[in-house]
Amino acid sequence: MSIETKSPRKGFLALPETIWRSIFRNPLPSSDYGRSSTSFTNFFLHIHPVKVHRHSLKPSYTMGLGLMATFLFLILVVTGILLMFYYVPSSTQAYDRMLDLRGTVAFGIFLRNMHRWSAHAMVAVVFLHMCRVFLTGAYKPPREFNWVLGVLLFLVTLFLSFTGYLLPWDQLAFWAITVGTSIAGYAPVFGKEIKFLLLGDTTVGQEALLRFYVLHIAVLPAVLTLLVTIHFWRIRKDGGLARPEEEEEPAPGVAQPEPLAVAPMTMAAVAGADAVAGKRTFGIQGLVRGPLNKVGKLTDRTVFSWPNLFQAELLIFVITVAGILVASLLFNAPLEEPVNVMHPPNPAKAPWYFLGLQEMVSYSAFWGGVGIPTIEVLLLLLVPYVDRKIAGVGKWFARERLLANTLFLTFALLNVILMIIGTFFRGANWEFVSPW
Amino acid sequence: MKKVVDHPESETPGAITRRHMLSWASGFGLFGSFIITALSNFIFIKPRATYGQPNRFSIGKPEDFPPGARIAIDTRRICIVRDGDKMAAISVTCTHLGCIVGVSATGFACPCHGSHYDQDGNVTGGPAPRPLPWYQVSLAPNGELEVDKDVEIEPGAYLSV
Repeated sequence: MSIETKSPRKGFLALPETIWRSIFRNPLPSSDYGRSSTSFTNFFLHIHPVKVHRHSLKPSYTMGLGLMATFLFLILVVTGILLMFYYVPSSTQAYDRMLDLRGTVAFGIFLRNMHRWSAHAMVAVVFLHMCRVFLTGAYKPPREFNWVLGVLLFLVTLFLSFTGYLLPWDQLAFWAITVGTSIAGYAPVFGKEIKFLLLGDTTVGQEALLRFYVLHIAVLPAVLTLLVTIHFWRIRKDGGLARPEEEEEPAPGVAQPEPLAVAPMTMAAVAGADAVAGKRTFGIQGLVRGPLNKVGKLTDRTVFSWPNLFQAELLIFVITVAGILVASLLFNAPLEEPVNVMHPPNPAKAPWYFLGLQEMVSYSAFWGGVGIPTIEVLLLLLVPYVDRKIAGVGKWFARERLLANTLFLTFALLNVILMIIGTFFRGANWEFVSPW
Repeated sequence: MKKVVDHPESETPGAITRRHMLSWASGFGLFGSFIITALSNFIFIKPRATYGQPNRFSIGKPEDFPPGARIAIDTRRICIVRDGDKMAAISVTCTHLGCIVGVSATGFACPCHGSHYDQDGNVTGGPAPRPLPWYQVSLAPNGELEVDKDVEIEPGAYLSV
């Protein structure tokens, strides 16, 4: 797009720089123009806006949770592909391959640890990200659909982890999937069909292992990638991260344009773009939904993405990777006894994030495993369409949102408490035990 | 951009023209075939043959089971009960979520979510929604007992040997 300084070298000597420029198109920027074209012309950076609002960069606002989830997914893809070089989805070989990872494969334990702990972390971080978005009211118009995508992403994350833990073919794997697919069997109308399609047989066996493998390494990652892409695209098109309404504060020395008749502009209003553009002090490349940038009317609180946003992202990336590396060095991913189809472990426990579900299932298989979870997901999906008030957006625990936030926190805490009961207070035969 | 010339037919507003009709019909056809193609994948992934254990199998001669025995054959997921000269096969797959129930002093107990059953497989506690099913046992011509897990029978219906 632009070349900031002409190269002083000529002829053959200029070749390395020519090649460098042909790849990166821009030298490292030293001016605002360079900073914007750097974001613009680089494939990996162009997903970002050229400028980003200061409010969106505050660590206390987002806590970097969405980015963290993305980076965890990236770690999972990389370590997952590496593990695929040694894994065989066969009921006679899978467990031996797990032992090989421990015994003979270089970095085998370490990669498996990274994959396991990133998966656990991703479930937790995606959940916390959802809490953040709710508690800051960031799902309000025009971001309703992005919240829906987020709920779907949470479900796909859970399903990815569910399919993943059959693969080691140990006792936990076998019995957790036996229980999990039986829960699916309680679904109304198609329950039995869904269970049979998932397992490819009447009980968990070779067919189920192969099916879960295909879902885990191909189908679900593809679905997740597609949804994440739309999720990101919508962040841009919905006008960046949600932030509070800005007070009108005339910037000194800037000409005041006439106030626009239609303030919250929608895609339908593109026809009037010429009229709008004439009143703005810069050219527009495209219109996005949401409030217009009120040029000249407000103090510009945006900063260039290069380097502000990219530095922040790099920092989150380093923290995420460091956290996973440390956890993988300190703790080994558990591997239980090989599958014994005749003796379920007692108690047979799912991983922590499914223990709330297992606790509910111990009261009623249909209501605990199908009914209540379905209602919970439906409620989550409907949140932005039921709660339509535009107040307290972009603030943590806004006073205007006291009721909504209280309801959500109660809902989240109930699930966490069920999880804690399932984890610590249940022993043999799922009897109530005291952890002390 | 090429300017689209309006078809003279479409001059009356709201009227359904041949062009509208055809585009709706073809759109509907394309969308419909897309849905059918998507659904046909489910037919593909539904296996016509399974590779697991057969549901009908022989378990040996009646003499292998002494009177009063309650012997669980976990690989087949059944428990063979012999009471005098009456025999039956009770499922040991928990009706709650498919774990294998253990034979206990009072009947059966599930290690996964704490369901309890009595000697005949009736639910006495826990989240199990149904009693354990009884399967048909028959005496094959070679004198061996044959269990058919595809046929559920009334609880309490024994085979006399």
